[in-house]
Amino acid sequence: MSSIGTGYDLSVSTYSPDGRLFQVEYANKAVEAAGVAVGIRCSDGIVLGVERLLHSKLLVKGGNRRIQSVDEHVGLATAGLLADGKHLATRLRDEAYNFRDTYNAPATVQILSDRLSGYVQAYTCYGSVRPFGVSSLVAGVDKTGPRLFCVEPSGVFYGYRACAIGKGKALAKTELEKLIAKEADGGEAITCREAIDEIARIIYLVHDDNKDKDFELEMTWVSTETGGKHRAVPGELQAEAEAKAKAALEEGMEED
Amino acid sequence: MALFAASAQQEAVAAPIQHRFDPYEDNGGTILSIAGADFSVIAGDTRQSQGYNIQTRYARKVWQLTDKVVLATNGFAADGANFVKKVKQRLEWYENAHQKQMSIKSIARMIQTMLYAKRFFPYYVYNILGGIEEDGTGAVYSFDPVGSYEREACRAAGAAQSLIQPFLDNQIYFRNQTFPADQPKPIPGNLPLGTVLGLVIDSFTSATERHIEVGDGLEMYVVMAKGRAVDDLTSKGALPEGVVVEELGPLGEGGGERTFLVRRTLKRD
Amino acid sequence: MNHHPAAWGQPLTAHQQFDMYSTNPMGMSAPRSAHSHGPVQNTQWPLVTGTSVIGIKYEGGVMLAADNLASYGSLARFRDIERLHALGTHTILGVAGDMSDFQYLKKELDGLLREEETLTLTDAHPPLSPNNLYTFLANLFYARRNKINPLWNACLVGGWDFKKDESFLGYVDLLGTTYTAPTLATGFGAHIAQPLLREAYEAKAGVDLEGRPGADGRLLTAEEAEAVIDDCMKVLYYRDARSINKYQVARVTKDGVSISESKSSETEWMYAEGLRGYGGQTQ
Repeated sequence: MSSIGTGYDLSVSTYSPDGRLFQVEYANKAVEAAGVAVGIRCSDGIVLGVERLLHSKLLVKGGNRRIQSVDEHVGLATAGLLADGKHLATRLRDEAYNFRDTYNAPATVQILSDRLSGYVQAYTCYGSVRPFGVSSLVAGVDKTGPRLFCVEPSGVFYGYRACAIGKGKALAKTELEKLIAKEADGGEAITCREAIDEIARIIYLVHDDNKDKDFELEMTWVSTETGGKHRAVPGELQAEAEAKAKAALEEGMEED
Repeated sequence: MALFAASAQQEAVAAPIQHRFDPYEDNGGTILSIAGADFSVIAGDTRQSQGYNIQTRYARKVWQLTDKVVLATNGFAADGANFVKKVKQRLEWYENAHQKQMSIKSIARMIQTMLYAKRFFPYYVYNILGGIEEDGTGAVYSFDPVGSYEREACRAAGAAQSLIQPFLDNQIYFRNQTFPADQPKPIPGNLPLGTVLGLVIDSFTSATERHIEVGDGLEMYVVMAKGRAVDDLTSKGALPEGVVVEELGPLGEGGGERTFLVRRTLKRD
Repeated sequence: MNHHPAAWGQPLTAHQQFDMYSTNPMGMSAPRSAHSHGPVQNTQWPLVTGTSVIGIKYEGGVMLAADNLASYGSLARFRDIERLHALGTHTILGVAGDMSDFQYLKKELDGLLREEETLTLTDAHPPLSPNNLYTFLANLFYARRNKINPLWNACLVGGWDFKKDESFLGYVDLLGTTYTAPTLATGFGAHIAQPLLREAYEAKAGVDLEGRPGADGRLLTAEEAEAVIDDCMKVLYYRDARSINKYQVARVTKDGVSISESKSSETEWMYAEGLRGYGGQTQ
């Protein structure tokens, strides 16, 4: 780490001579240490999935969820420091509430992402604060259709057809690129039900049994089937997707 | 209230009337409490009204606070409900801090403090607190809306106070009763339970006849001192026809005092 | 006009002289006394108002009704206003009184329910029950009256209480006054509809020990209840000058809330030559 010992990595209010903010880069390290989070924008909605790493066998099953609701129609999946993720979700809920109060209409996903990015960016400007150790997938269906954005610790945010953050995001992204190839060529995006299977498959694929702790798969969606509301993926649907994912994984191993 | 206020205003037609929000209302009803040597009865009717309208035939006015204290509230129902809520909250905090329930004399002083704290925007509520004192005697404390209070042998408050209190003065305090020379005037607050319940029931049935804001149902809470026999309440034939008794479980650890809820109907017209 | 018997035959008050038929706030503004220029001016009277809301419990549910009129003084200003509003899946709110305060209430409650919904994903908890929402409203109304800045409404809350497995019906108004009963009505309806509702309800349900109806436990069927509600709304239309012959009926059962389309009563305005039983004409 070239930054260590130079003194330029102690504060976000000081650039390094080559124009970098090392504290922001360290925040990204916190993100990369977290279980992967995947989002896909589909033809009929969006699907979010996270690999929730279990640091203890004593944890209650299904607890400590990492995907949160921001408004009726918007979900937020975070990777990084869990407490920071909760804080950002609370902030974003306030923004969503405030938007409705002011305009008597639900906020679009883009506007919420923009507000979140502005908030996150402010934490890269002052010596008295640290940047958030979180990347966020903001996903939902609004009047413009299904939308997916990723907000990074620097405050930068982009819209995506599909996105992955956290540990093993590189592998996940190559899988996602294959998935959206048809759409990128002008074809139809995949459906939510297909995306559920794919996200389960990708997360099982990315998970490293040897190195990583056990994990639970957590999935939510906003689709025509949920009436445009952000909901947990129904248990049977998720169980089916996980069974397929495990089968695909075994098949892959036999081929190797 | 507004209806009568309007007719009063007609006296001064010259003065222009301000249409102003009146934050108070009188919801009628009556409460009554009588102490015995080793018990206390706290009663109230269940009618809630506004002017000539009966809002509901069953609204509670009497509340069990601790294992040996019961509070009756009367006046403006919204203030009453919210006042009782705050009293209960303070009692819970006290119990959590001190690992015991507050005594009746302390509750009485606390109620004074709470009422007087709103001296300039009062709770429009008349309170009567009944229960068992720490020395085991039956007690009644009565309050005015701004916290003035005293311990008494009996008290009636509310719509039919003016009907019931003179009756109690005669029957409980023995006012205007003459006794033979060899029989001294009894000390008030020592009547047997059966007599007291009879007086309470007669008070309410009579008030129901003569006051439009009293009626529907009667709830009488009876708090018995520790170790007192309860057969004068629970044995067969102890109470008149149509009166039902139910024992209420202790709210706290249970110090031996027992609380009963005695109910009967009142006329609904 | 003051209809209290104590006021019969008395000279008119200054207020009645300047606005005999209570058309205020139309046309004239209330005369101001020399003392009325206080530093704070909160809501002193309602402006655009809705009239009665009525409600009754029946077998397996609760029913509310309110007409579609929002009046501006004596002017029938808005004739297609919905005064029954669903709160979540098993609660219905019916509001009389100031319509802008009602709109504020709707916004507040919808925001509360939406927040609850968004928190449910990460923190699973039961949805707000009718009783929860009723208590929230009671606290809100009472807090506002304590600030001498009331929300000028009288509300009925109807719902299904899954904990008790029975219907819920409660009243709360601008003073924070609350009560529950198997039949309820606000405002003019308390005079006109409540006796009809009670009569129908008690004829079937009987009365229990505290004077509470329901001892016999047999409640009206939904059809019977709606017939009584329809009758009440008709009588209210005949006798309440601030009503309109267009109303909605809402039901809450185990299965959820439903609010009907607007409907009208069949009315009869012919010369009453055949009417008997009033005045000297009894035959």
